[in-house]
Amino acid sequence: MTENIRNFCIIAHVDHGKSTLADRLLQVTGTLSDREMTEQVLDSMDLEREKGVTIKASAVRMNYAAPGGQAYELNLIDTPGHVDFGYEVSRALNACEGALLVVDATQGIEAQTLANLYSALEADLEIIPVINKIDLPSARPDEVAEDIVSLLGGQPDKIIRISAKAGLNVEAVLQAIVQKVPPPKGVDDVPLRALVFDSHYDSYKGVIAYVRVVEGKINAGETLRMMATGFSIKPVEIGIFAPTMKPVKTLNAGEVGYVATGLKTVQECRVGDTLTQAAKAAPDPLPGYRQPKPMVFAGIYPVDADDYSDLRDALEKLQLNDASLVYQPETSQAIGFGFRAGFLGLFHMEIIQERIEREYDLDVLFTAPSVEYEVVLHDGTTVLIDSPAELPDEGLIAEIREPWMNIEIFTPTDYYGPIMDLTTKRRAEFKGQEYPAPHRVQLNYTIPLSELIVDFFDELKSRTKGYASLDYQFAEYRPDALVKLEILVNNEPVDALATIVHKKDAYHKGQSLITKLKGIIPRQLFDVAIQAYADGRVISRANVKALRKDVLAKCYGGDITRKKKLLEKQKRGKRRLKMVGNVEIPQEAFMAVLKLEEE
Amino acid sequence: MTNLQSPLSIYFHIPFCRHRCAYCDFNTYAGQEAAIPAYVDALIREIEFLGQTIRPSDHPTTRLPDHQTIRLSDHSTIKTIFFGGGTPSLLSPAQFERIFSALAAHFPLDDPETTIEANPGTVSLDYLREIRSLGVNRISFGVQSAHPDELRMLEREHDFFDVIEAVTWARRAGFENLSLDLIYGLPEQPLDRWQATVKRAVDLSPEHLSLYALTLEHGTPFGRWSARGLLPTPDPDLAAEMYEWADSFLGQNGFVQYEISNWARAKDESRKPVPSAVEGMKDENMKIETFHPSSFILHPSTACRHNLQYWRNLPYLGLGAGAHGYAGGTRYSNVLRIKTYIERLTNHQLPITSHQFPLTPATVNSHRNTPREDMQETMMTGLRLTREGVPDAGFRQRYGLSIAEAFPQEVDELLKLGLVEWVDLSPLRPPSLVGKGGWGDRLRLTPRARLVANQVFMRFV
Ligand SMILES: Nc1nc2c(ncn2[C@@H]2O[C@H](COP(=O)(O)OP(=O)(O)O)[C@@H](O)[C@H]2O)c(=O)[nH]1
Ligand code: SF4
Repeated sequence: MTENIRNFCIIAHVDHGKSTLADRLLQVTGTLSDREMTEQVLDSMDLEREKGVTIKASAVRMNYAAPGGQAYELNLIDTPGHVDFGYEVSRALNACEGALLVVDATQGIEAQTLANLYSALEADLEIIPVINKIDLPSARPDEVAEDIVSLLGGQPDKIIRISAKAGLNVEAVLQAIVQKVPPPKGVDDVPLRALVFDSHYDSYKGVIAYVRVVEGKINAGETLRMMATGFSIKPVEIGIFAPTMKPVKTLNAGEVGYVATGLKTVQECRVGDTLTQAAKAAPDPLPGYRQPKPMVFAGIYPVDADDYSDLRDALEKLQLNDASLVYQPETSQAIGFGFRAGFLGLFHMEIIQERIEREYDLDVLFTAPSVEYEVVLHDGTTVLIDSPAELPDEGLIAEIREPWMNIEIFTPTDYYGPIMDLTTKRRAEFKGQEYPAPHRVQLNYTIPLSELIVDFFDELKSRTKGYASLDYQFAEYRPDALVKLEILVNNEPVDALATIVHKKDAYHKGQSLITKLKGIIPRQLFDVAIQAYADGRVISRANVKALRKDVLAKCYGGDITRKKKLLEKQKRGKRRLKMVGNVEIPQEAFMAVLKLEEE
Repeated sequence: MTNLQSPLSIYFHIPFCRHRCAYCDFNTYAGQEAAIPAYVDALIREIEFLGQTIRPSDHPTTRLPDHQTIRLSDHSTIKTIFFGGGTPSLLSPAQFERIFSALAAHFPLDDPETTIEANPGTVSLDYLREIRSLGVNRISFGVQSAHPDELRMLEREHDFFDVIEAVTWARRAGFENLSLDLIYGLPEQPLDRWQATVKRAVDLSPEHLSLYALTLEHGTPFGRWSARGLLPTPDPDLAAEMYEWADSFLGQNGFVQYEISNWARAKDESRKPVPSAVEGMKDENMKIETFHPSSFILHPSTACRHNLQYWRNLPYLGLGAGAHGYAGGTRYSNVLRIKTYIERLTNHQLPITSHQFPLTPATVNSHRNTPREDMQETMMTGLRLTREGVPDAGFRQRYGLSIAEAFPQEVDELLKLGLVEWVDLSPLRPPSLVGKGGWGDRLRLTPRARLVANQVFMRFV
């Protein structure tokens, strides 16, 4: 009985209105009463709301009575909205038969839209384009419709135009879903195969797997098995999201719901894995499973060494919910005990950093992110290093290889020049261009990942007034002339400040890093000498002069309290500094290498 | 615990100014002088209120704290009175007279040091004579600079001739204890201009000088101008140089520094031989430290005793709008606005038992210090006293443990950094014993720490 089921997702560039439209759909179908309607219900983490992106997917079931009286079960599957989570997006898309492509009428199509659109087409989804924000005076729905038609075909005037915010024309979206998205295929009477497209950790029920039953069915109480990890599961409960978790007896083929697995970590219940019955297992898993692979690595250190075990707890807890976060203990000679963590990308790293600081209230220090290098030694062995500090002695190294990425930059044609300029500076190789829509060009390059993680995205945005967008995938490892750039503070090398750079950039990067650090390192009770060192010589040096005056003058009319508050504030500021030897260094110093000016 | 007693100081806040100076973030108001009579009435009510609540006999509910803090009782005499502002010299002699008689009616006064802050240009010879005869015996003039253009930039409403005149009159009126306030580190102020200001101030032979570095405070015109880039921020290194120059210049001219920003002229000698026994030891200039055996005369007699009370973390009552007080282990402050202050005191019926001394109907914030907080504050304020420092014996008497026991890591680190030192000014003690718990030991800033003293204080809060 899958005839009346529709499984769909919404793909959109950040801020184009995905969450707002989702809210409206819930409201119009009565899934949430107006009173229950809190803004953007699908994004359950605060952080996501602030960043304006969906980090973790979720799913919700709506009951919709179509104009003819026919009742439908609509499952909206939310997808993560950022380039770091491409794999998660592809799994969520595989759980659907259709996708709403939401495009902002004032912005038009962007790279993220395109990237997700291509994935949706790959997953063979029915695409329903929707132009949003037509209430805005700056809306150009006709132009945007033309762009969409040149991508997807069809007729410009047939594209649904809505205002999600004002609730305009939302009913038309629901009707289109019912009419155009095919019902799920799949039969009940074969061995179960259900796709895990997301998961989260619940302290009562263990890991909750979000599943789409592709074929067969899940009965409550049945023992299941994860096909990739091999774990067997005695589910605590199975159910649907309506919109909160509601237990059911069976999940049939074509349906979307959850399995409360009782597992302890999301590592045991990976996105993309296939659930089957333990008793009557399917012969093959669903295609497309892969292990998330961290691309970017950074050291995480407690600012106060006493917080080490709290930091370990925080990472453990975060990992419960985030299968792509990996970490292991690391020790820095300069800054003590910490962890080396791997992330899907820079954005993923930022999220982890903010969650550690906000949810666990820890002052932590992240070192500048690094990629994973393949270092070939003269004796023929290859070592993998993801931290500049680990780079073997220069004399031993035959060759250093670094990861290169394929990137697609999608931009209005006007910004062709500034983008070419930026990519050239970042050692990118131009591969070609396409014109997927009028006035828009897609530029394809390969570029070292190390160049991409150094502020590339912000630079791109600022050079194109925010219009250009970016997508990337791993290409290959390539050798290049790379050297370690070291920073010495009062003549002691600080391993956590070292980076690996291209030989031809070492000089100017060293200089601008020293200038930067001179501005960042506060004056101390003594002079502090800082030097950049690469390729066997000192490239640049500077001196942070000793602090001369730091005293509150007047205690006005006996107001000791105010004075004390000021001192307490100053003390808190000091606590956020990291002691390196006897020099206090602020967290931003460790990120300074990311912010070197482009001359 | 030892039953410590201390005399009391009283601060009156007079929040009226003819014009607000461009750098000033004090609780003061221009153009509200019409409210002065009602304000004085309110001050008197606050005096009466405190006078009634301080005596436990009148109010059996009043429990005086008996933890580490200094005990107050009806024996506590008033040793210092300070009128700060604002511009206290906007009050008429008749108004001062009313305040003094209310005070005398409610508190035992013991020949108090009585200071008023005054702006040159707001006083006349007659005025000074009258207030002197009422018992005001110390006057502090806000001079700030000797240069007309600097005074204009600060939006001060006087020039240096007014200063000369005011000082001359004050002397003629019989003031033998006179202080001048100066500001250094003005935007674009070169060293030599500051030197000229200091020299001219010294030429006026004051007993006392306060030197304050300009700070650009939020919400003042200076703060706004500098935020908008219209006013260059003063160079802290140059300010440091100005301070150091002034320190040595004042030293050569008979002044002794006793606090980070305060110098007093050494009329008599400040260092007296150590008495052989703690018992009965008294400081002729400052009889207040009956409980404080080791904090004898480490400052000239012209040091501001009222300010010493603050720095030694001893009790003071704060009266008036926005005034701060510390007594019975409680820090508190009054409502800021003049109008509300007056309302709160006039609408209130005496006597009242719902307020526990030292709180009054004007109080808006109060915090009962824990012993630990009190210790922190004793360090933070006491270390400002550059000669006296924090006497270990006094600290131990007050809190039952020594400074090094209360702050082991902090003291250790600061000693290593060379920011504090143990001293014992007794010539009788061999240096090797200093800092080893002798009753004469005191912890104080090293000379180099004076300018980076926040780095020291911070560690104690
Ligand atoms: N004017 C207007 N604003 C909208 C509309 N839909 C969404 N927005 C606003 O666009 C911003 C981004 O929307 P959101 O739903 O959070 O986008 P998401 O990042 O794609 O989930 C929010 O400030 C919304 O209020 C619309 O139809 N009209
Ligand atoms: S005279 Fe003093 S209190 Fe009044 S405004 Fe000027 S600096 Fe402020």
